Amino acid sequence: MPAPGSQASLREMNRLRVLDTVREHGALTQVEIAGVTGLSAATVSNVVKELDSAGAVILSPSIRNGRRAVRVSLAASTGLIGAVVFGDRDVRVVIGTGGKEIVAQKRMPLPADHAADEGIDRGARLIHELIAHSGHMPSDVRAVGVGLPAPIDTVTGLVGSNGILPGWRGVDVRAVMQEALGTQVLLDNTANLAALGEAKFGALQGVSTGVFIKASYGVGAGLILGGEVFRGSAGTAGEIGHVTIDENGPVCRCGNRGCLDTFVGAQAVLTALRATHGSLTLRDVISRALDGDAGCRRVLEDSGRHVGVAVAGVVNLLNPEVVVLGGQVSRLGEIVLQPMREAIERCAIPSAAATVDVRVGVLDPDVADAVGALALADQVREDADRAALLVGQP
Amino acid sequence: MTTTTTAAPVLSMTGVSKRFGAVQALKDIEFSVDAGEVVALVGDNGAGKSTLVKTIAGVYTPDEGQVNFAGSPVSIGSPAEAQELGIATVFQDLALCDNLDVVGNLFLGSELLHKGALDEVTMEKESWRLLRELSAKIPSVRIAVASLSGGQRQTVAIARSLLGKPKVVMLDEPTAALGVAQTAEVLNLVERLRENGLGVILISHNMSDVMAVADRVVVLRLGRNNGVFRVAETTNQEIIAAITGATTNAVSARAARKAHQEDQP
Repeated sequence: MPAPGSQASLREMNRLRVLDTVREHGALTQVEIAGVTGLSAATVSNVVKELDSAGAVILSPSIRNGRRAVRVSLAASTGLIGAVVFGDRDVRVVIGTGGKEIVAQKRMPLPADHAADEGIDRGARLIHELIAHSGHMPSDVRAVGVGLPAPIDTVTGLVGSNGILPGWRGVDVRAVMQEALGTQVLLDNTANLAALGEAKFGALQGVSTGVFIKASYGVGAGLILGGEVFRGSAGTAGEIGHVTIDENGPVCRCGNRGCLDTFVGAQAVLTALRATHGSLTLRDVISRALDGDAGCRRVLEDSGRHVGVAVAGVVNLLNPEVVVLGGQVSRLGEIVLQPMREAIERCAIPSAAATVDVRVGVLDPDVADAVGALALADQVREDADRAALLVGQP
Repeated sequence: MTTTTTAAPVLSMTGVSKRFGAVQALKDIEFSVDAGEVVALVGDNGAGKSTLVKTIAGVYTPDEGQVNFAGSPVSIGSPAEAQELGIATVFQDLALCDNLDVVGNLFLGSELLHKGALDEVTMEKESWRLLRELSAKIPSVRIAVASLSGGQRQTVAIARSLLGKPKVVMLDEPTAALGVAQTAEVLNLVERLRENGLGVILISHNMSDVMAVADRVVVLRLGRNNGVFRVAETTNQEIIAAITGATTNAVSARAARKAHQEDQP
């Protein structure tokens, strides 16, 4: 690490700036890089030369305004990996060269209760466009991790509940995605993926027993046991959103009554605010609570308390070191963490409650699950590389 | 962002009618949009969408009806007046000049001057600020618009509409000719405009785009209102039924009458 303020650290900064620019805009010519970064053309030329000799970028001849130019794109020496992560209201697509080395990403809003074919179609086409835009070929993609905000039955590969994500009922997502993308596809629940992301690069790094709570449109959990994501016997582990809180409570989309989801899911939060605040989206409620709106704050504090009660049960069962809150609601930080901690202290066994550290995730809620999906795909690519070495193929 | 949504709508129209000779293009139209709300305007060909858009944009003046803007009655006599009020329109053809660069397009007709010469520096800085506000991905503001992708051109057109600090932005078919990545960009833009507290009127034929970003859907049919739907409480099918008139055709009306008679023997 060069000394701050030195010539060397300046060069380092410029290198990062150029790399970030290419990552954000896709393949660019040197003149365009100079335009975006504000660096002089000569500096860009030098930096690109350095990056090229370090193998970080690929140069290809191109023509801009009728003059010869050099197109700069990010190198992907061992192939690309991808992630397609569905939320209740959007799909986020990322391609990268490693778990955290993101080459390009894009988010697209989707209708609530969209049908599977629409989501899959848009996700697959976004991946294809991102690949083309970053100057690569579809065959460069080695594996793609796909996330769904619903329990996945690992035996059948289908969504494990008919009521959750109704548009995706009975669709073999892995097979359909595999066909659309022409590469190996891995499917997992988004809470598990976000837990994996935090375990690899975030707040659960080096933690052996941890719980990740994803609070967004619905609530889910990812369990880390022995440093690995625990999926249970058929992939449904961690469905904390459908733990019964009140036997006589409202009927849940999963078909039971009084699930945690019916108290803290987006539907419950938005219904509670409809009379006073009109029709909002979850993102509106969160940004207003951050701006100090008392009603929005109160509703989300109550959510924190309810989640805390359910988490207390998990704390009793697993005695985790760390509980990490992620998902859109975690943007509120202490506003929800405080009531959540209080509920855990009140409801869990004192010795378990005293040792657990409750905190907010490190990764941005919009990318945590995508990072996890990338990590999953990265693992598959590595395994394939190792297998190829054993067989003696290049 | 404001803390209440129960405020009066930014733009509301009641009983608006427009006639071209023998053709009744609009009849008794009710329409409103709140601050921080996305209203989609949908309808079949010839339903009156374009006429309504042009009425709001000041291209046509309505024959009857009242238009309120920010709580007070107004009459929009010309596109310039609409712009002055704070209604910005991005038409389908975008009206960009292909041979000018992004800065040139943004400030076309409202160039900033410094001591009698063009103030390129301020204009370029302002362009970057606007594009950044929209999280737009444009590699250079000194690049000719001809070399931008469809989504980027749409972004430039929307950025230009924001120069006059409008309260309502109207987007006519913003995703009609775009690929999926560019459509994603435009839909994100619409969400960003909404988060910035602007009222957005979105005209689109693509139901999944509409259902993805709109709060409310206003359906026009044969120049009349044919229903207003909250996206959270409706389905694709219901809206398409309203667009095509499947809910009120002769067959369904007869079926309804029959059912009514059977109920009361």
